[in-house]
Amino acid sequence: MFDFDVLSNYLIVGAVLMVLGMVGFLTRRNLIVMFLSAELMLQGTALTLIGFGRYHGNWTGQIFTIVILTVAASEAAIALGLILVLFNRRDSLDVTLWQELREPGEPAFEDDEAAVVEPPSAEPGPESYPQLTTAGIEPAHPNQAWERRRD
Amino acid sequence: MRGDALLALLVVGLGGFGTWLMLPRRHGQARPQQVHWLGGLMALLALLLLAVLWTPPGAFLTSLFFYGFSFLAIAGGVLMITTRDPVSSALWFAAVVLSTSGLFLLAGAQFLAAGTVIVYAGAIIVMFLFVIMLAQSSGQAAYDRAARMPGRATLCCFLLLWALLYSIRLVGHPEGRSLSAEERATRLVPTGAIAARVGHGQGDRVQAVLDRAVRSETARMTSNRAMPPGVPTPHVAGLGGTLYTDHLITVEIAGAILFVALVGAAAIATPKPHVRPRQPSR
Repeated sequence: MFDFDVLSNYLIVGAVLMVLGMVGFLTRRNLIVMFLSAELMLQGTALTLIGFGRYHGNWTGQIFTIVILTVAASEAAIALGLILVLFNRRDSLDVTLWQELREPGEPAFEDDEAAVVEPPSAEPGPESYPQLTTAGIEPAHPNQAWERRRD
Repeated sequence: MRGDALLALLVVGLGGFGTWLMLPRRHGQARPQQVHWLGGLMALLALLLLAVLWTPPGAFLTSLFFYGFSFLAIAGGVLMITTRDPVSSALWFAAVVLSTSGLFLLAGAQFLAAGTVIVYAGAIIVMFLFVIMLAQSSGQAAYDRAARMPGRATLCCFLLLWALLYSIRLVGHPEGRSLSAEERATRLVPTGAIAARVGHGQGDRVQAVLDRAVRSETARMTSNRAMPPGVPTPHVAGLGGTLYTDHLITVEIAGAILFVALVGAAAIATPKPHVRPRQPSR
């Protein structure tokens, strides 16, 4: 029942997930999104392993997927700890701020910020806050900072 | 097979261009919303064409769930890498994990389906959300709205996808014909050639031990030693049987990895007081 055609379904989905994870890892500058893309790659390979394990009627595919799960959990713990430490140093999750870690002969990655950065989407301001009916007696304090826009 | 090759090329081209459009980048004077939607439409079209390459697994309900989980996994993957907000990325990743968990279930890996949901969606993604909470930028950050070399990266990775689709789809069956399930399971039994190599030197012996671990009686899903004849082995019993007999060292190594990671994470995340240089004495 689980013949080669069904196996190739799983392999194709696993390959697509792997490639999407690779695109995300190479492209995004946010450290957290980069790490999420690496985890996506691991999901793709796990799917391939499970497919082959079922195809050959062998438990080894699932055993190795358990190992992948273990390694992914440990890697997530350490990587997120490192990301927090890096964020505390530079106050930013940008990976291009850490260019001094590159290879000795490589030129630094420069990007024309004005030409490349997308314009931000407009965030609704105080005009979109819900209008609640007043209840009770208004206390004697002036309007507070939370009514100002957080920019 | 020419039709399949053309379809794969179309999928890769359309999907690559759609993903490139969806990645955060300023495209001249075009409005980001419109570019995003156009890219999304092209990627969706590529996904529907990809679905043509799949063969339905047989029963209607199985096919329905397979197509549903695969669509959700791939769409979730694309949305995860292209959305501008890291919290949305984490939530789309949760959708991908749940879909792959469903695919594991369809492939007969029930323990792993539950394990993936518990460990990935339950622990790892929650950890991500906590870290995003602790490390968030104020407002929309510039580094979330710009991608590094999206054209080159997308081209390179989708070429890889085309190569993978080619090798999966067009190479076809390994023996040129479809094997039955018993043939596939018994093909991995150690042959006389491997057994004959056991006596020849250390390296061969290690190789033979590893071969035996993969091909042994307990490693086969259909092996039925503990149950009365005719009763299928319960899933977790079979998995545990092979885990603790054929892959015992693997269990020990995985435990060691977890321990080392625990020590490492505690060492990294504990803040250490700054070391002040000694004041010069006057």
